Amino acid sequence: MAEPPPAPGEVLRALRQRVAALEAHRPLGTGPLGTAEAALPLGAPALDRSLGGGLALGALHEVAPATALHLGAAAGFVLALAARAMRAGGGEVLWIQPDLAGREAGRLYGPGLDLAGLPLARVIDLRVPHERDAAWAMEEALPCRALAAVVGEFFDDRALDLTTLRRLSLAAARHGRAGGLGLMLRHHAGAAASPAVTRFEIAAAPGPRDPFGGLGRPTVHVSLVRNRRGPTGCWLLSWNHHEHVFLAAPSLALAPTALDRPHRASPPAPLGRTG
Amino acid sequence: MNDVAAGLGLAVGATIADARARHPDLAVEPHDPAADHALLVAVADACDRFTPLVALDPPDGVMLDITGCAHLFGGEAALARGVAGLAATRGLSARVALADTPGCAFAVARHGRAGGAPLVVPPGGQREALLRLPLAALRLAPERVAALAAVGLTHVADVIDLPRASVAARFDGLLDRLDAALGHLHTPITPRRPMPDLMTEQSLAEPVMLERDVLSTIERLAGRLARVLENRGEGARKLEAALFRTDGRVFRIAVGTGAPVRDPERIARLFADRLAVGEPCDPGFGYDLVRLSALATEPAGPVQTGLDANAADTVALDHLIDRLGVRFGARRVTRQVPQDTHVPESCCAALPAQARPRPVLPAAAEAEFLVDGLGPERPLRLLERPEPVEAVAEVPDGPPVRFRWRRVLHEVAAAEGPERLALPWWCTADAPPPTRDYFRVETRLGVRLWLFREGLYGRETPRPRWFLHGLFG
Repeated sequence: MAEPPPAPGEVLRALRQRVAALEAHRPLGTGPLGTAEAALPLGAPALDRSLGGGLALGALHEVAPATALHLGAAAGFVLALAARAMRAGGGEVLWIQPDLAGREAGRLYGPGLDLAGLPLARVIDLRVPHERDAAWAMEEALPCRALAAVVGEFFDDRALDLTTLRRLSLAAARHGRAGGLGLMLRHHAGAAASPAVTRFEIAAAPGPRDPFGGLGRPTVHVSLVRNRRGPTGCWLLSWNHHEHVFLAAPSLALAPTALDRPHRASPPAPLGRTG
Repeated sequence: MNDVAAGLGLAVGATIADARARHPDLAVEPHDPAADHALLVAVADACDRFTPLVALDPPDGVMLDITGCAHLFGGEAALARGVAGLAATRGLSARVALADTPGCAFAVARHGRAGGAPLVVPPGGQREALLRLPLAALRLAPERVAALAAVGLTHVADVIDLPRASVAARFDGLLDRLDAALGHLHTPITPRRPMPDLMTEQSLAEPVMLERDVLSTIERLAGRLARVLENRGEGARKLEAALFRTDGRVFRIAVGTGAPVRDPERIARLFADRLAVGEPCDPGFGYDLVRLSALATEPAGPVQTGLDANAADTVALDHLIDRLGVRFGARRVTRQVPQDTHVPESCCAALPAQARPRPVLPAAAEAEFLVDGLGPERPLRLLERPEPVEAVAEVPDGPPVRFRWRRVLHEVAAAEGPERLALPWWCTADAPPPTRDYFRVETRLGVRLWLFREGLYGRETPRPRWFLHGLFG
C-alpha cells in the first residue's frame, strides 16, 4: 500500500530546504548543527535588524563605492567591518590588493589604518600582481582560523566570474571557528549576479564637525542593495574608530557650510589661482 | 682545439694564418670564454648528482669531492665510469681521474695516459701515479716549468726525491704543490654551493614527468628529513628541491619559511605552490633523481598539538604567510611598521611578514589620536606618487577653495590645515625640496581628501603647485 501523499506545505518546506542546502547558505537564523547563526552586530540597530542580527560570519560580503570618487569611503567602511570583526573575535586581518588597484586608488597607508581603528600589528598586507591572484589568495586565506577577516580588492571585475565567487563563498564557510569574514572591495559598482550574502554601496557624506570646528568622524551613506537574508535599505552611519562601533549619524545634507568658522570670520583673503 | 686538430699536428698558440696554410679546410670558431664557462657550469650541475661538493676548476675542469659518496654508486671505479658516461651522453669528451688528493687527480686527468677509460689511482698510490708525469702536471706556471727544464728537471720523478731543503730554497712553491698532490698537505676544494645542513635524495628507476609524481616524491623525502630534524630538535627555514633531468639538466626550486617547519605535508604544499607559479620546469624525458636539502635549519621544539588552540592558529597563520610568500614573493606579504620620520611617504615601512616584524607605535601618539569625535589625521590610502591638481586657494597659505582632480571639479566645503612638513633638506646637497602644506579637505559631496601645496608662496616659489596625496575613509 502506497504512503499517503505529504501535505502540500511539507513538500514546499522540504524543497526550500533542499534549495537552501544546494545554495550552501542556511535558512535565516540557523547555523550548522542547528545553533544560532554566527553574526557580527555592527552597532547601528536599524542596520543590524535588516541584516538579521548582524553581518553573517562564514560568508562573503561585497562592498562597492557608489561612484569611483567614493572609493576612500568604501575602503573606510570595509576597514570598519574588519576592525569590528577583529575586536569581536580576535585574530588578524589579511588585506589583499592587486597592483592595479594600488596604482589607481592608492596603497594602504599604515598610519591611516591605525588611526581608523585597525591596529597595524595585526594587519598583513598582501600585494598581488593580478585580480586572479587576489581571488586565489582570498580563497586560500578564508579558511584560516587565525584571520578575523580577509579583505580582497578587485579593480578589474573580469577575473570574478560566478565560479570564482562561489568558490570564495564556500571557502568562507569552511572557516574553523565561528566563521571567517570575506570582504570584497570592488572598485566599480556593478550589478552582476553574485553568491555574496550582502552587497553594500557606499558614498561619502558630509560629516559632523569636531568640537574644535575641524573635520569630525567620517560619515558614510550606506546602501544595502542586496541582502539574501532580509530587506535592503539605506542608512547614514558614522564610524567611531575609538569604540569600534557604527553610529547613526544625523543628516547634514541641508546644513549650511561652515561660514562661521573662525578663519572665515575675518574678511576673505584675496583668491589666487595657483598651480 | 679538438682531438682531430691535434692529430693533424696543430698546437695551441699557432696563428690561424699558419694553421689555414697547412690545412685550408680548417673550421675556425672565435674563442667564447662566456660560453665555455656556461658549459662548465652545466657540467658541474650534472655532476651534482654524484656529490653535493662540486667545485669549478676553470677553464676546463670540474672537481668532485666524493668522500663518503662512492659506495652509493657501487664503488669508486663505478662512480668514475658513471661520470665518464654522463659526459659521453652529452657529447663531451672528458678525461676522468679519481685520486686521494685534488692535486693528484688534476695531474692524472690532464697528463695521464690518454684514452676513454677513467683512471682510478688506488688509495695511497699518488707517488706511483705521479712519477712518470711531466712537471706541468703539478699546476706550475709555464715559466716555472721552463726554468726547471733549463736545469734538466722535466718530470715529477726528477724532483720527488731531491733534498727538500735545496728544492725549497731554489724553487719557491714547488714543494707545496708536490706535497698537495701527494697528500702531505691538506687542500680542500671550494664547492660551488654551500653544503646543506641535511640532504636526502631519491633516485628513480623510472623517470617521472608528472608534477604530481614529483610532489609525492618530495613529500616522501620530506618525511625522511622530518625524522632526522625531529631527532635533532630542529626545523627547516630554507629548503631546496633539485630535480635532475635524465639528460643532465638540473632544476632547483627553493622555498623559505617564516618559522622552522618539518611537517612533510606543509613542505610539499610549499613546493606545490612554488611549482605552480615559478619558471616552468620542462621535464623533457623525466627526472631520474630528486634531492631535497635543508639549506638552513633552526632549533624548534617538539610541537604538542590539540591542547592550545591559539598555538595551532598561529601555526596555521605562519603556514599561510609562507605559502603566500612562496607564491607571490616574500616581499609582497608584508606588515607595515611605523618609522621614526615625519615624511608621509616613508613613515611606514613594509617589512616581509615572514621576518615577523614587531610594530610598535609610540604610546603618546596613540593617546593623542584617540580623542573622541576627531576625524583621523592621516588618510587610509596613499597614492604611489602625489598627483598634480589645479587648485584655487587663498594666498599666501590658505586652504584650497576648489580644485580639479582627474578631470572632476571639486568644491571644498571644509578644510583643516595647514600641517606644514619640511622634507629632509639635510639629506640633499643641492637646493632643498620645497616645504609642503598639507590640508585635509571635505568636498561638498563629503569626499575627504589629503592635498598639499608644494612650496611656500613668495618665499620658496612664486607659483606653488598643488598635489593630491591621499584618500580618507
